Amino acid sequence: MRFPEVFSGRRVRQVQKAFHNAKVTLLCLFVTVMVLRGTIGAGKFGTPGQDLAEIREHLIVGRRGEPHRVLTEAAINEGGGKAEAGGVVEEEEEPEEPEVERDPNGPLYSLGPKISDWDEQRSEWLKKNPGFPNFLPNGRPRILLVTGSAPKACENPVGDHLLLKSIKNKIDYCRLHGIEIFYNMAHLDSEMSGFWAKLPLIRKLMLSHPEVEFIWWMDSDAMFTDMAFEPPYERYKDHNFVMHGWEELVYNRKNWIGLNTGSFLLRNCQWSLDILDAWAPMGPKGKIRTEAGKLLTNYLTGRPEFEADDQSAIVYLLITQREKWGNKVYLESAYYLHGYWGILVDKYEEMIEKYHPGLGDHRWPLVTHFVGCKPCGKFGDYPVEQCLKQMERAYNFGDNQILQIYGFTHKNLSSRKVRQTRNQTDRPLEVKDELGLLHPPFKAVKLSSSE
Amino acid sequence: MRETGRRVLPSTRGVPNGRSFGMPRAKQLKKTCNNFKITILCGFVTILVLRGTIGVGNFGGGDAGEVSESVAKQNARVLEEIRHEPDDEEDQMQLKIDPNSTFVYSLGPKISDWDQQRETWLKENPQFPSSINGRSRILLVTGSPPSPCDNPVGDHYLLKSIKNKIDYCRLHGIEIVYNMAHLDKEMAGYWAKLPLIRRLMLSHPEVEWIWWMDSDAMFTDMVFELPLEKYKDYNFILHGWDKEIYGRKSWIGLNTGSFLLRNCQWSLDVLDAWAPMGPKGQIRDEAGRVLTAFFEGRPAFEADDQSALIYMFITQKKLWGDKVFLENSYYLHGFWVGVVDKYEEMVRNYHPGFGDDRWPFVTHFVGCKPCGSYADYPLERCLKSMERAFNFADNQILQIYGFRHQKLGSAKVKRTRNETALPLEVKDEFNIQHPSFTGQKSL
Repeated sequence: MRFPEVFSGRRVRQVQKAFHNAKVTLLCLFVTVMVLRGTIGAGKFGTPGQDLAEIREHLIVGRRGEPHRVLTEAAINEGGGKAEAGGVVEEEEEPEEPEVERDPNGPLYSLGPKISDWDEQRSEWLKKNPGFPNFLPNGRPRILLVTGSAPKACENPVGDHLLLKSIKNKIDYCRLHGIEIFYNMAHLDSEMSGFWAKLPLIRKLMLSHPEVEFIWWMDSDAMFTDMAFEPPYERYKDHNFVMHGWEELVYNRKNWIGLNTGSFLLRNCQWSLDILDAWAPMGPKGKIRTEAGKLLTNYLTGRPEFEADDQSAIVYLLITQREKWGNKVYLESAYYLHGYWGILVDKYEEMIEKYHPGLGDHRWPLVTHFVGCKPCGKFGDYPVEQCLKQMERAYNFGDNQILQIYGFTHKNLSSRKVRQTRNQTDRPLEVKDELGLLHPPFKAVKLSSSE
Repeated sequence: MRETGRRVLPSTRGVPNGRSFGMPRAKQLKKTCNNFKITILCGFVTILVLRGTIGVGNFGGGDAGEVSESVAKQNARVLEEIRHEPDDEEDQMQLKIDPNSTFVYSLGPKISDWDQQRETWLKENPQFPSSINGRSRILLVTGSPPSPCDNPVGDHYLLKSIKNKIDYCRLHGIEIVYNMAHLDKEMAGYWAKLPLIRRLMLSHPEVEWIWWMDSDAMFTDMVFELPLEKYKDYNFILHGWDKEIYGRKSWIGLNTGSFLLRNCQWSLDVLDAWAPMGPKGQIRDEAGRVLTAFFEGRPAFEADDQSALIYMFITQKKLWGDKVFLENSYYLHGFWVGVVDKYEEMVRNYHPGFGDDRWPFVTHFVGCKPCGSYADYPLERCLKSMERAFNFADNQILQIYGFRHQKLGSAKVKRTRNETALPLEVKDEFNIQHPSFTGQKSL
């Protein structure tokens, strides 16, 4: 063989090998990048999750997708309002304020300007406005039940349906007991978000409604299951804050679930404004709430790690400042002002067999509270199926007590269908409903002789 | 002959054919092995990459995606169970009604002395008077089906709608009954209000007026009070026009989505006369044909309560006409189309309290049906309009507390005034914080 030929042949092979290596290298590099995207994400190259979401969005057509899109549009449509057809001019846009986290070392959070003479202001107002007394003609204190939910549709498609049933349940109880309802759907204070939102709301309602003697806060996942039970308000005449709980668990065992803030009574007075002010500091979202969460987990027994919640914060406050607040706090355990659903829902049939409404306690709970279910969101602490089924049962259990007034009942606790329990008559006013809820004494309006 | 130039080591010479057969074969085997290894390696890498990106089912995949998928599946299963409760024997039997049989539907046993029964009861029960502080007791009745909406956003708007009603009724001292039970399977759908209203009247003699309101109707004037004194000689108040009903015989000459019915014998009689077209099945279908033939422009569908009532008023004017008030001086019912676009203009030019076209009392989303699947208008338009109406009304409540929505399409709120240490000196703009209509008259 001639030398040059051999040489070129070798070179060709070298070049070929080099190409081959280059190809392999590029392939490996590509594979590495893909794997990295899949595991840790790769910045602006996006992640596979994002890819999938994009693909899904492009593919979603049809009714199910539409409302979701409309609602997300509504939620994010803050800037650039377009003129409606017909030439209506949109209101002026407020510039979006950037969400700034409060600096833990900066100015302290405050629910509002300090008020120190609320009792006097209130009593002056009540004197001047005898048409709005804080005690009703039948001797009961005027109560405002406060509850609420987020202004946007639930992520879970059945969540809004359960919220609807829950508010109907509250409407029924409150109608029977002469209690007014305030259903909040506005975020009054962006820092006090989530479970903390109740603090600025309660304060605002107290200050706007001096005629209200007690605010009754109730979570949206709590339902009335005893329509006949009336809380013993006289028992609380020397107290301002009534929660379901046990002194032993709170003060001695420092247990974070020694009481529950899902259903409580707070008197409209100076003391309450002060305790709201003392309660609020752990609430502002961001670093403050996260740091406070760590403190609470260390201090309280059994508390998992998560940001500060209003319940743990009040337990902490009561323990550390017992002399200041303790004597006006009533930890009620004689009836279920809040009743944990886990131990109650399986017993409803037994209760129907053995007992009757009006007891409010373990025999017939006033409130069944679906702690941890989170029907509006996607992930709760309990299996979804169990939560949904039990919430239906609790709702029907409460609803039966209303339906029986009119001669109906649910076919069974899991059924939405109803059947008649008595025939209709042409003398309807002679029918007495079993529980006396048709014209209950707590609804009666006492009239003065001049009326 | 295969070209093995690339794979062959440069030092190897020799022609790959025949003569030195053993060597190339070993090399071939080696080559094949190498190929195999590379193939398997690549295959393995591919699977890894796929796992990281889209998940490959059984082989495992992205955790969060999987959990959320299983939650969604569970939800869907429970929802299906809740929605489609099977009919039992009892239900099956009730559904067969032969219109030719002697069976005549009735809302209940005939009562002829309700006014006397009621009067006696009120005398015996002074602690449950029919008027409080000089105002007649009103019971607002509304409701929706007990199963989740086909469209989940429907439930969200039912929730907003009831909150809206709670707000108005709290300000005006009106009690609410929210019905979610099918009291009478025959009178299903829009006819369900008849047995419900009758049942509530007979159970609550202390209630002077039943105010039926559809779930798709919202209060948009929080200040407006019903002018009840105007109706002292009437028993049935609906939004509509006399000439549309008796003159043009229009099937939409009045609206049964929001009306007042006095609790008295006359009303029981009107309900009894109204009911016969209601029982579902052949009766309702037949009646639908009669109504379509009678009314110009009425599409062909089963008998609805509204057409049936108009038909009754026209054909039996002498019996009922003098106690029916067709109100059109304010929007006891306000058809949403045309109204919802004007909210901003209203805010600029007027104020709550008018209740009429300047500031509609009620905005009623007829034809939207966000809960069901078949509507007369595009869903997106309906939802946007409902959101606007809700926020328009909500602003009137929020202003009491010093807030309002950033704009009518937005759920976000902003402050309209600062907090103060003297909250009781702040007056809300429309004086509905402590409205005169709920205050107790001085004793």
